Amino acid sequence: MSNYFIGIIIFMASGFLARLILPKYKVQFLSMLCALASFFLMEPALEVLSSGKILSQTFNFNHIFGGVTFAIDSLSAFFILVITLMSLISIFYSKGYLAHYIEQNKCLNSHLVFLPMLVASMLLVVTCENALMFLVCWELMSLSSFFLVIFEGEKKEVLKAGIKYLVFMHISVLFIIISFALLALNSGSFEFGEFAKILHNNAHLANLVFIFAFIGFGTKAGFVPFHNWLPDAHPAAPSHVSAIMSGVMIKTGIYGILRVLALIATPTEFIGYLVLVVSVVSALYGVLYAIGQHDLKRLLAYHSIENIGIIGIGVGVGVLGLVWNNPLVATVGFAGGILHILNHSIFKELLFLSAGNVYIKTHTKNIEILGGLIKSMPASAILFLIASIAICGLPPFNGFVSEFLIYISMFKGLGEHNFFSLLTLLFSIASLALVGTMAILCFTKAFSIIFLGSPRSDETGQVKEDVENSMIIPMSALAFLTLLIGLFPRQAFEFVIKPTQVFVSCPQQAYLETTTILQTVSHYAFAFICAVVILVVLKLILTRGKVQIHNTWGCGYNRGNCRMQYSASSYANPFLAMLKPLFKKVLDVEKPRKLFPKKAHFNSHIDDIEEAYLINPLVKFDEWFLSKFESMQSGNIQSYIKYGMIFLVIILIGSLLVG
Amino acid sequence: MILKFIDIIILLFAPFLMMGLINKTKAFWAGRKGTSIFQPIYDFVKLLKKEFVVSETTSCVFKIAPIITFVTVIFASLFIPLASSSAFLNVPAGLIVFAYTLGLGKFLALISAMDTGSSFEGMGASREACFTSIVEPAFFMTIASIMALSGNYTFDSLKMIIQNAGNYGILIIIFAVAVLFLMILIEGSRVPVDDPNTHLELTMIHEVMILDNSASDLALFTYANAIKMLLISSLIAYIVIPAGLGFELGVLLYITVLLVISLLIGTVESAMARIRMSHVFEFIFIMSSLALIVLSLVVAKIFGDV
Repeated sequence: MSNYFIGIIIFMASGFLARLILPKYKVQFLSMLCALASFFLMEPALEVLSSGKILSQTFNFNHIFGGVTFAIDSLSAFFILVITLMSLISIFYSKGYLAHYIEQNKCLNSHLVFLPMLVASMLLVVTCENALMFLVCWELMSLSSFFLVIFEGEKKEVLKAGIKYLVFMHISVLFIIISFALLALNSGSFEFGEFAKILHNNAHLANLVFIFAFIGFGTKAGFVPFHNWLPDAHPAAPSHVSAIMSGVMIKTGIYGILRVLALIATPTEFIGYLVLVVSVVSALYGVLYAIGQHDLKRLLAYHSIENIGIIGIGVGVGVLGLVWNNPLVATVGFAGGILHILNHSIFKELLFLSAGNVYIKTHTKNIEILGGLIKSMPASAILFLIASIAICGLPPFNGFVSEFLIYISMFKGLGEHNFFSLLTLLFSIASLALVGTMAILCFTKAFSIIFLGSPRSDETGQVKEDVENSMIIPMSALAFLTLLIGLFPRQAFEFVIKPTQVFVSCPQQAYLETTTILQTVSHYAFAFICAVVILVVLKLILTRGKVQIHNTWGCGYNRGNCRMQYSASSYANPFLAMLKPLFKKVLDVEKPRKLFPKKAHFNSHIDDIEEAYLINPLVKFDEWFLSKFESMQSGNIQSYIKYGMIFLVIILIGSLLVG
Repeated sequence: MILKFIDIIILLFAPFLMMGLINKTKAFWAGRKGTSIFQPIYDFVKLLKKEFVVSETTSCVFKIAPIITFVTVIFASLFIPLASSSAFLNVPAGLIVFAYTLGLGKFLALISAMDTGSSFEGMGASREACFTSIVEPAFFMTIASIMALSGNYTFDSLKMIIQNAGNYGILIIIFAVAVLFLMILIEGSRVPVDDPNTHLELTMIHEVMILDNSASDLALFTYANAIKMLLISSLIAYIVIPAGLGFELGVLLYITVLLVISLLIGTVESAMARIRMSHVFEFIFIMSSLALIVLSLVVAKIFGDV
């Protein structure tokens, strides 16, 4: 356990130490320190995952906190591995990304303090066993990520997105405080261990606590309808930060939900259905809105919502399995959900980093003016393609494995002949299939508009070379992981079975059945890749020198230009037109007028229906309501002292009445 | 062993023969003599010998996509029982791998169409992606409903509908077969969704996606599409043909089902005009509605059987 704390301290200190270094070598120095820290952190995590025992250490804080325990069980260990590995890769990548800012003499000191601080606070969150300390770490995480988001704070929209993020995080923490307060009131302690005792066999309290915790943690994770900060914060943040935030940080929300479920131990059916239904809605909503986006990072942010939904489907089915006393459904459901946490952090990080490459080279996130980048940036294009196939859940990459496990658990759950469960599961299966095909639509759009065809603007056409190798190498590591899990699904399942055992112990027969299927899938994937490679090589050999180069067929018209290509909006249009009522489409049109039109433009984007009809009215109401109290702010020091006096008197009277 | 051999023969030739038969049927209804039913095979062989003409806009994606699409279809066929009524890879949940493998092929086909930078091919890709996204959930819903009957996700549940559902069995089979038949029309891009014979790029879907493909690339795409139709037809055959028949009778019935489906597709193509593009969605939603009917029949069977 001491190695763990050494790692945390190095992470915390590394940002401050980096201040002493010359700007040019700062990031390099930081990544070396972080690598060292990760080395220390991996050791206890791997030990717990291999042996299955629980490491813990208690610190005696002041009398408010009491004894604070930090414990690593297999669920925490899994999260520690994901967090350190994924953050480390992002930090390594950031060297190349930040180099462009260093050239412009931008001060990086605070950024480099908060980057490792975010990682350290996430690590503390997943191990802390004391509710008060948990909230402190949670807040540290929210604040450090806020400062990372407003890296380019001189831009107005970045600052706005950052503040929106901050507000959402504080609403979320409010709900977490309520749920912890409920537990603390009932148990008289802030220890998670004590919480578990009173939650046992108290279904009513468990439901209540879970609802608050789900809203709180769900806001962090990005479940619909609390997802609203995600599509604004991710485009605002620099790419390596979005990668950490989307890949890892939102998973701490999932961790919170999983931890509360582990404390409850015997969840009610209500909790299962709540998680499942909200997750299905999130998955559909996320991918639906992703299709309509032109901003690449916004699109990816909506996909985070989708994938959080898929994780939630796994967890929800797992909980239902627990309720039905069906360990196979529970194990495979939880395992699918937990594996998808890992998978999503891998491919989503890869996607955000590729988006960063595109941004660095073209200085735009608007995919409508990109195109043809595969010729100038082949490595980034291939990496983006791999990640896109993985995120669509297609074999032979890792996304398929976790979605497959979730499917298996749902199909197994169909055997439970209970009216409501049958309908929910059947519709969930169809929804997951719909999510998959919609993701295909979205990512064929994103990949082909960015990388294929010919450049749609001059700036894009001027890109000559790919980003430097220091950025490609960490990304290749991610791509390798994607393929590795896709090719060895059985080992991946065995890897996540330990964290699953926090919730349910897996029966031997269920375990064997699943591993047999996964083993077949593994052979299948291998054979598939071999077949593709053999045929491609064969084709290359046979067709050498027998290829004629020609224009693209344009119905006999061969003067077509790049503006005549299909655009992202037109690609998505048939699908979006079909589901028109679900969107608020905002058009900004200026038509060409008169005989010699001077200017004209057309711009369309899709507004989040939830933001337009729920959040904005709420904010408007809030503004109106608070404006009633404007007169209180007179700017007169005497009246402020008066308010203070009144407040003190109320407190005094109140404490007399209560005490 | 001999059955597996028959399966391989069927996988190699039946897709071509089904295509030929469909064309023959159309010729019959139109009062023409028509080409030989072996014509698709001749075309395939001829295309393999041709020289490649590749657009200068394209990248490596365009070159490897036909191969991957073809391999995905071949590998997907491992999960579908052909004449031998047992799949080569007979694993539970194999249908999920089947559908997702086909999804990979579709992914590559879509981006290879977009790779040419042609607005026509973009149009085709956009429509194809859109249609698939409605077809796939309906397929999953049908399969999942049938599996809910037995509570088991193995392939046998598809064969045991009558045993599991009693009186409802016949109805469930009829609607499930209707879902799959519509899926052939949509996925195989036949009339009334798409017309393989049309010569106007603006109205094509599947054909327009492969406008720029030539030689063996084109051959592989066409073959892959035909195999896909064969696979869904085999699913129909698997559902329709009762279990426990002998080897000869099983193969014979299987071939009969393929024949009937081909004749039916040909007849549908001769009897119907293709639907206006803006109304195709409504047609595809018929499939979703039929899938919902299958679902409600299953629910009625499980909970309404008093």
